[in-house]
Amino acid sequence: MINNPVIFYISAALIIFFALFSVFSKKIINSLLWSVLVFFTAAVIFYVLGSEYNAIIQAAIYGIAVPVLLGISIMFSAGKDDSGKGFAINFFAIIFAVVFTLFFIDAVVISLMKQPESFILQELPKVNFYDVISSFVKGLFINYVWAFELMGLLLTVTIAGIAVFKRKGA
Amino acid sequence: MEITMYHYLFVGLVLFLIGVLGSILAQNVIKVLIAIEIMLTGININFVTFGTYCGAESFDGYIIALFYTGIGAVELAIALYIFYLMFQKKKSENIERYREL
Repeated sequence: MINNPVIFYISAALIIFFALFSVFSKKIINSLLWSVLVFFTAAVIFYVLGSEYNAIIQAAIYGIAVPVLLGISIMFSAGKDDSGKGFAINFFAIIFAVVFTLFFIDAVVISLMKQPESFILQELPKVNFYDVISSFVKGLFINYVWAFELMGLLLTVTIAGIAVFKRKGA
Repeated sequence: MEITMYHYLFVGLVLFLIGVLGSILAQNVIKVLIAIEIMLTGININFVTFGTYCGAESFDGYIIALFYTGIGAVELAIALYIFYLMFQKKKSENIERYREL
């Protein structure tokens, strides 16, 4: 785990900004691109928290696979967006963004004043691979083996269901 | 100022609330799905935080976050397939036209 306030505050501010932009973007493709940034920043937070596996899986599934699915959906429905509502940059949005940014800058400055060495990354991630892998294996195949099997069954049913629907549709 | 568990939980909570807000306000079906994925990301951050701070040896939170990631991807695939089927009839992404769901 990297217990560094500067990295935490920057990644927290970025993920909240990206999530707000993603939710309030007017164009759907912009919303998707901002959400990709949210997922990658979440992977960074997982890495900071010391869970490299979750970070990799988050980046692979949510950062790459899920946006591809959503992007294909946007492509086949292109031009049919009649929602008509979205985010317009107005006075209140600018005020909110300024206050939000100042709050996070203030948090970083206070952290640096109280803990000046946090600006330098002193704590490098220390991973004891044997412990981490054995704990994951124990969790997946012993403690949560039913959940693991259920998850595999769910994925299989999903794939089979899509194949059946596809054949019926054809 | 030392970073504690509550800082990460707060970030997860804010992400979850942004996702809730987005899923309520959005008029576009795909935007609703994106907002739901943001909610799931907030929940995952909470799980990983608990795994780091509360389960030093067993990593339970990490494993539950892994399951949640898989279930989230499956849920999205099913939701998009339902959307695809409905879109062929409705020819619109507006959520108001999907009331019969």
